[in-house]
Amino acid sequence: MPWMNKVSADRIKQEFKDVEVEHTEHTTNLHVKKEKLLEFLSFLKNKEGYKHFIDFFCMDFPDRKERFQGVYILYNPDENERVIVKTWAQDGKLPSVQNLWACAKWAEREAYDMFGVEFEGHENLRRMFLWEGYPYFPLRKDFPLRGIPEVELPSLTELMHGRTDPPSHDYELLHTRIATLEDLERTEKARLQKKAQLVLNWGPLHPGTHGTIWFLFDLDGENVVQCDVILGQLHRGMEKIAENLHYFQFLPYTDRMDYISAICNELAYVSAVEKLLGVDVPEKARYIRTMFAELQRINSHLLWLGTGALDLGALTVFLYAFREREKIMDIIEGNAGYRLTSAFLRIGGVHYDLAEGTLDVVKAFIKDFPQRLKEYHQLLTRNRIWLRRTKDVGVITKEDVFNYGLTGPVARGSGVPYDIRKLEPYAAYDEVEFDVPVGEVGDVYDRYLVRMEEMVQSLRIVEQCVSKLEKLPKSAPYINREHPAVMAPKEEVFKSLESMVKNFRIVVHGEKAPKGEVYVSGENPRGELGFYIYSTGDSKPYRLRIRSGALYNLSIFPKLIEGRTIADAIALLGSLDPVVGETDR
Amino acid sequence: MTEFWVSLLVTVIKVFVVLGVFLGVGSYLTWFERKFAGHMQARLGPKLVGPFGLLQPLADGLKLLTKESIVPASADKVVYYLAVILALVPALMLFAVIPFGPSFKLFGVEVKPIVADVNIAVLLVFAFGSLLVYGTIFSGWASNSKYAFLGSLRKAAVIIGYEVVLGFSVLGVILLAGTMSTTGIVQAQIEKGVWFIVYQPVAFVLYLFCMLAEAGRVPFDIQEAEAELVTGYNVEYGGIRFGVFPLAEWYLNVMALSALAVVLFLGGWSGPRIFGPLSPYLWFLIKMFGLVFFVLWLHWTLPRFQAKDITEIGWKIMLPLAALNVVITAFVYYFV
Repeated sequence: MPWMNKVSADRIKQEFKDVEVEHTEHTTNLHVKKEKLLEFLSFLKNKEGYKHFIDFFCMDFPDRKERFQGVYILYNPDENERVIVKTWAQDGKLPSVQNLWACAKWAEREAYDMFGVEFEGHENLRRMFLWEGYPYFPLRKDFPLRGIPEVELPSLTELMHGRTDPPSHDYELLHTRIATLEDLERTEKARLQKKAQLVLNWGPLHPGTHGTIWFLFDLDGENVVQCDVILGQLHRGMEKIAENLHYFQFLPYTDRMDYISAICNELAYVSAVEKLLGVDVPEKARYIRTMFAELQRINSHLLWLGTGALDLGALTVFLYAFREREKIMDIIEGNAGYRLTSAFLRIGGVHYDLAEGTLDVVKAFIKDFPQRLKEYHQLLTRNRIWLRRTKDVGVITKEDVFNYGLTGPVARGSGVPYDIRKLEPYAAYDEVEFDVPVGEVGDVYDRYLVRMEEMVQSLRIVEQCVSKLEKLPKSAPYINREHPAVMAPKEEVFKSLESMVKNFRIVVHGEKAPKGEVYVSGENPRGELGFYIYSTGDSKPYRLRIRSGALYNLSIFPKLIEGRTIADAIALLGSLDPVVGETDR
Repeated sequence: MTEFWVSLLVTVIKVFVVLGVFLGVGSYLTWFERKFAGHMQARLGPKLVGPFGLLQPLADGLKLLTKESIVPASADKVVYYLAVILALVPALMLFAVIPFGPSFKLFGVEVKPIVADVNIAVLLVFAFGSLLVYGTIFSGWASNSKYAFLGSLRKAAVIIGYEVVLGFSVLGVILLAGTMSTTGIVQAQIEKGVWFIVYQPVAFVLYLFCMLAEAGRVPFDIQEAEAELVTGYNVEYGGIRFGVFPLAEWYLNVMALSALAVVLFLGGWSGPRIFGPLSPYLWFLIKMFGLVFFVLWLHWTLPRFQAKDITEIGWKIMLPLAALNVVITAFVYYFV
């Protein structure tokens, strides 16, 4: 996806004299002063067409007087251009842009939670992931990676038998504080002021939420008057972890974000790092990546279909979907060695060459799967009850797609053809043919149809990848061996001295990335997964921001559910399809 | 005087036979349902406990009986336990008015294979059906849990709506038969030589819907709705107290209502005598389990409705249809 063109940049420069335009190697940044920020952003949104909100986050520079920098990534759907707007906070404060883009509420909560930056004009500035009363801001550079050891947390054995000498386990006795029940109660109270009859909690553990999300519904009978979502039960501080790891080391962590589409996550991450490091990927690796990413997409959509139908009471679809999932899992396991968190890709290629017989298995799957899809359609698509539960439920307008930063099937269900695979092709997506299905109404049913059709399109891509891979010789390279930042394959490490030395160097010191910044995103089954990497020339990123599609897609949930029944909540949530590993990171 | 004692003895024996058979069959229906669902869903179902997993219901029962009993601290204890009884008893009482075959003579005593052959049998069915809702409401109320409360309210709304439709759908049959006694209705069908489903197809379909709603089966299982309300009204029950609810609602109720449907619409025990002397009983059971099978089949195929849709369909579509059906039946019966 290209960045803001020169003509618009000049036009903006004329309109706003003190805006600095910076063209870096991979991005276009606009620097604006805090006082002008709101005016400037509304100009970008209304006059220049940068209306699709992609991401907002903060960066911490302890050496600077202003210290915190706010970064906005915006997208212009008409010109297909992105731009980054940066502004320095003053006294740790930034203006809130919630009136321009509604989803900024959540992004700003997250920035407040992680950096302590306050937002003027935010309607309810609370912690996003951590609990009310937590005193620290973990993504600040002065917060230690290991946390702050302040309370003793005895293990269950210790509680029952007392502390022994030597202790029953050998980890630190002191730990960072964890949330108490009072903390959680305070968090709940801070989020929602009861207006109606009763507040129903969904979660943190509830079968309908597909993970550990905590929903608060203020109910009038069965109608939801207001709703808020408390996230963070699966927050692991991925971004903090990334700042403290070499580039190649972070790869397995990306698997654990959206754990249902691990390879898609990896693909987005390695694409970003490869762009930063300037690594070329051999053709074979690109096709293998594309094929597995698409298989993973089918896999992920099958899980969505199964659990979504299960939520609406169709018990059998669930097991039918899992039967097909199992086949894909086997293909992935046969190649990567793992089923779920596969860690299959590498910077510069893939970990292993295709396992023997993979293409035959995939071909068998391609032949079999359309009939299975037909089965699902028979069970659901024309089913009166299914239609009644999904039609006209949770209608998302095109405006809301832009205002809430929605991406992926949720955006496409509303008729916005936003698909990174087409707009900024990565891997081999520019060399294969596929269509982008879009919906018309934007209700749950449209999102259902879009995902069902996406599986067909994914299958088409896989088919093309297979025929391409069959033509490539067995000896074609599956990893870029020349580039100094790419680790050599394992079998070479044991045989050749150069490879061993190279790997030793990368593992111990990491490979230094050039200075600069890069924002690359991948089209995940759950929306755009973007990686913004800010490098200061070290072997570790100075700041790595993960733009989660699932988080932004979920941000529209409280709005959509207002005035509808609790039974709609489940249909709606299924259609937004969040995975908590990714929303919380 | 001896006649009284003999008939009392016969009744007591009948009660025990019905209780034993249907409680046993009810718990074995769990095995059947799991096996059936398993094969529908491309898996095997229970297979480890006993041959073909046949001892699974026993294992389940043992497990439920030996579980620790946990009662929520703020529960209303009396109502909490009362709910269990009120769920089970009306479901069992329904079997009292179901005739399983023609009367026969044993040791010179005429025995009717029905526990209570009363002339208001159909009314009794409605009475017990309405009582059933108290089990649900009490359990939801006494548990002091929001999920249970919402689930029980949903169920109450559904039952109230569908009791009415059920009543109207059965009225046509009563008009045709001219009696409310269940044996009488079967006799009427045998005498006319035609099953009432032929005269009352609309009523039969409505009855099936009501049966699903009353028994809380998919697509009307909103009071359970495990995705939204965890399992709804019985979420705070544990052990065998938890087990009683599905047993009563999903199995006993479905069987009783299926049996009643057989009596009302499918000619009761009538059928060609191809199984020898046991023929009427076998025909009855075949028809009844055919309907049970149909219910299970729907359960594992369809998604579920929303609460407001169910009541809407009940009041706005089914009730007028049922009323119209009664009026037309009455006209035709009177003038033709």
